[in-house]
Amino acid sequence: MTVELAPPPPGRSAAADRAETRRRRVPYLLLAPGLVWLFIFYVIPLFQLLRMALTTGNLQAGYVFDWVWENFTQVFTTYQPQLLRSLVFALATTMITLLIAYPLAYAIAFRGGRYQSLFLLLLLMPLLFPFLMRTLAWRIILADQGVVVQTLQNIGLLPSNGRLLATGWAVVAGLVYNFLPFMALPIYVSLEKIDNRLIEAANDLYSTPFTAFRKVTLPLSMPGVISGSLLTMIPAAGDYVNVELLGNPQQAMMGNVVQNKFLNIIDYPAAAAISFTLMVAIVILVLVYVRSVGTEDLVA
Amino acid sequence: MRRSRSGWVLPAYMWLVLIYLFLPVFVVIAFSFNDINRGFNVVWQGFTIRHWLDPFRVPDIVESLGTSLVIAFLSAAVATVLGTLIALALVRYRFRGRSTTNVFLFLPMATPEVVLGSSLLALFITLRVATGFWTIVIAHILFNISYAVVTVRARITGFDRHLEEAAMDLYSDEWNTFRRVTLPMILPGVLAAFMLGFALSFDDFIITNFNSGTVQTWPMYVWGASRRGIPPQVNVWATAIFILTTVAMFVNLRIQGRRAARSADV
Amino acid sequence: MDTRTDIPAVELDGVTKEFADFTAVYELNLAIGENTFFALLGPSGCGKTTTLRMIGGFEDPTTGVIRLHGEDVTGQKPYQRPVNTVFQSYALFPHLTIFENVAFGLRRRGVEDAEVKRRVNEMLELVQLTPFIKRKPKQLSGGQQQRVALARALVNHPRVLLLDEPLGALDLKLRKEMQIELKRIQQEVGITFIHVTHDQEEAMTMADVIAVMHQGRIERMGEPTEIYEDPRTAFVAGFLGASNMMSVTVVDRGSGAVALNGGTRLHIDPSKLDGGDGTVRVGVRPEKLRIYPIDEVSLPPNVLQGTVTDASFIGVSTHYLVEADHIGEIAVVAQNLDDHHHRPGDPVKVGWLPQHCFVVA
Repeated sequence: MTVELAPPPPGRSAAADRAETRRRRVPYLLLAPGLVWLFIFYVIPLFQLLRMALTTGNLQAGYVFDWVWENFTQVFTTYQPQLLRSLVFALATTMITLLIAYPLAYAIAFRGGRYQSLFLLLLLMPLLFPFLMRTLAWRIILADQGVVVQTLQNIGLLPSNGRLLATGWAVVAGLVYNFLPFMALPIYVSLEKIDNRLIEAANDLYSTPFTAFRKVTLPLSMPGVISGSLLTMIPAAGDYVNVELLGNPQQAMMGNVVQNKFLNIIDYPAAAAISFTLMVAIVILVLVYVRSVGTEDLVA
Repeated sequence: MRRSRSGWVLPAYMWLVLIYLFLPVFVVIAFSFNDINRGFNVVWQGFTIRHWLDPFRVPDIVESLGTSLVIAFLSAAVATVLGTLIALALVRYRFRGRSTTNVFLFLPMATPEVVLGSSLLALFITLRVATGFWTIVIAHILFNISYAVVTVRARITGFDRHLEEAAMDLYSDEWNTFRRVTLPMILPGVLAAFMLGFALSFDDFIITNFNSGTVQTWPMYVWGASRRGIPPQVNVWATAIFILTTVAMFVNLRIQGRRAARSADV
Repeated sequence: MDTRTDIPAVELDGVTKEFADFTAVYELNLAIGENTFFALLGPSGCGKTTTLRMIGGFEDPTTGVIRLHGEDVTGQKPYQRPVNTVFQSYALFPHLTIFENVAFGLRRRGVEDAEVKRRVNEMLELVQLTPFIKRKPKQLSGGQQQRVALARALVNHPRVLLLDEPLGALDLKLRKEMQIELKRIQQEVGITFIHVTHDQEEAMTMADVIAVMHQGRIERMGEPTEIYEDPRTAFVAGFLGASNMMSVTVVDRGSGAVALNGGTRLHIDPSKLDGGDGTVRVGVRPEKLRIYPIDEVSLPPNVLQGTVTDASFIGVSTHYLVEADHIGEIAVVAQNLDDHHHRPGDPVKVGWLPQHCFVVA
């Protein structure tokens, strides 16, 4: 009786193995330089910031890392006004910017016709001017003797000795101005993608123009609204230039405290604690966003 | 499209907002012609073209512009290369950790500039690195990488992979394939990433303020000058740069428009 | 086809391709002769494109060996192989002119300028695109782009040309024209073409040899008429065209006599009954059937009786559906040779010759 032996299982070809290994390694090699850079100059500094927030001491005596959480409790006590103001200003800025930007983006997307790219260019052109110069220009426009204040005083919206500069209004106005293009652009992009036939279909299905907008256009443009809002809210919450140029110390936001303590008063631990708190708040915001739109859309 | 009688409202609103956006720009341009000598350039004193004829009067302005140009070029170039490589990996390959990488790349863009700047400063303080030219470059590369990824990625998505296979099939090795096919195809995206990075770096103030030491970039100069009165030459330079870039943008738009029109008529 | 030599142009030896979650090609053995127009035919996902890509070098087989003219090329890069590919999407370089697209391969191989110019012009003349030499691919129609893709591959004088559904994007009329054109070019240049398609008509029009693939395996390979007339498996029978299938019991293996469920006797070619035992499935194509009035007396050996349920006149022929006893609905394609038009409800007879039956596994 003969026992028939099964042929040895065919081994994977060496060439296939080599190619496979190579292919699997390629993406990591491509990612490595950039991600290493981000790791060294983004991730490590954030840890450094946290570490710094947990130290005590001063510049002369040196700092001791002793897990002191006091700097963080200080953020919510001593700097509570600044914290709240950052939040309120950022939210107000986002809402006002959204209200101005949405109709603008809508007008460009649906009424721009063949001049759409020209209008987009006009929307972005002011960004070619230095950000500081544009903000400083508002100082001239909103000046106490300026046309705007005079007019507001004449029609009684502002008391006769009232002013705009050095008020919270000026700060918010400056922030709104700064971030308007960053709000309008993503909204435009998502509006522009909407197939006109969808709106026609809604109209065909007995929707009034307003219902069609509410049920079709608005939901489809939500990704743009969300990313525009983030692009506005995040930098607005951390801004300190507008307060510095258009407001006064009474309107100080978190950013002002951070830059002041890092660069002028030199109180690193407190500054680090405030900065880190701001970061954590933003991360929470982003995580909520990620959950609602998915990761691919974030960077796409 | 059917237009109702209220059809003029939206376009009128659009123009109003655009005027609002340009208002400060006009003010800055106007005040480049303001007839003042020293102090704060905030009250109109009369018209002159004197400052336009003498743009080099304040040497600090020219020097800071030069510094900003170099920093913007360096940081945009490095960030574009790093960002392009990441974008290629993200679009072309399915690998473990891909979506984590996506979120990770989004984070620097979502981090307030104050935090980016101050945390980097915290690192430099701890390492006892003196802040200056190179720390600014490092910081600018850092915030430009994510933007470069986003820009290049948009271009690579929708790129037919068969094009590269066709090149390989036609006797191009990996390097030749990249140089002859991949790079020319993604070049518009790469250039856009470079220009965006250049612009972001050139105009950055907040992050630079933390890491500049005694080096004065163009925004840093404007910031410093704003406390003692900005020389009208600053307005002149800002206006000149604005006009130059605007013209370049319009020329580019025209060329693209014509190219699109030409390839449309077969 | 006298130029065929003993060494096949392309040879696959036990080739398997596994992807992360499925096996695309399983233990494939295949030899394609010199100067053959070979078609890999099958539905999407059957492994035909993967097979082609392995021959081109775009995928490496998990196991097995690929030889081109006897030389082992497994693991070689696409640019190291003497084969060229016409891609489904054409993959023309959008940033290069038609001339530079066609010249691409020659330039990479360091052919000198004058020679490049001569060969590209000659090739563009062959595919009748000389006037478009300076255009960009986007400015050409689909059919023109297809010809550029062909010229770009052929100008390199490959020993084997691979075509991945090259006609898929063209409309029907253009596709028919290109089928004839491709066949003409293949005969003119005299090299092996391997053509991947899911269109059985296209494969049969052009190919000398067809391999029908199904789930990573070749189910049937042969000349078009051979595999059409004797598909051997139900899948191949169905994929190559319509057929009427029925289960029969073998009555006498020697004479080829079989019986339907109700006892009706049918006759089939006994040589096709070799492995069949007890019950077998037989098929017959609709155009092999003839339809007769119920009172017809001169009939072929195989006859069924039934009622017309549907008749559609489509010009060159008339398609009938006949509800036959014990079988169900059978399809008949009748040439419009006589005035006999049967209407739904008419009782008819359907008959065919024993040699037109095939047996499937």
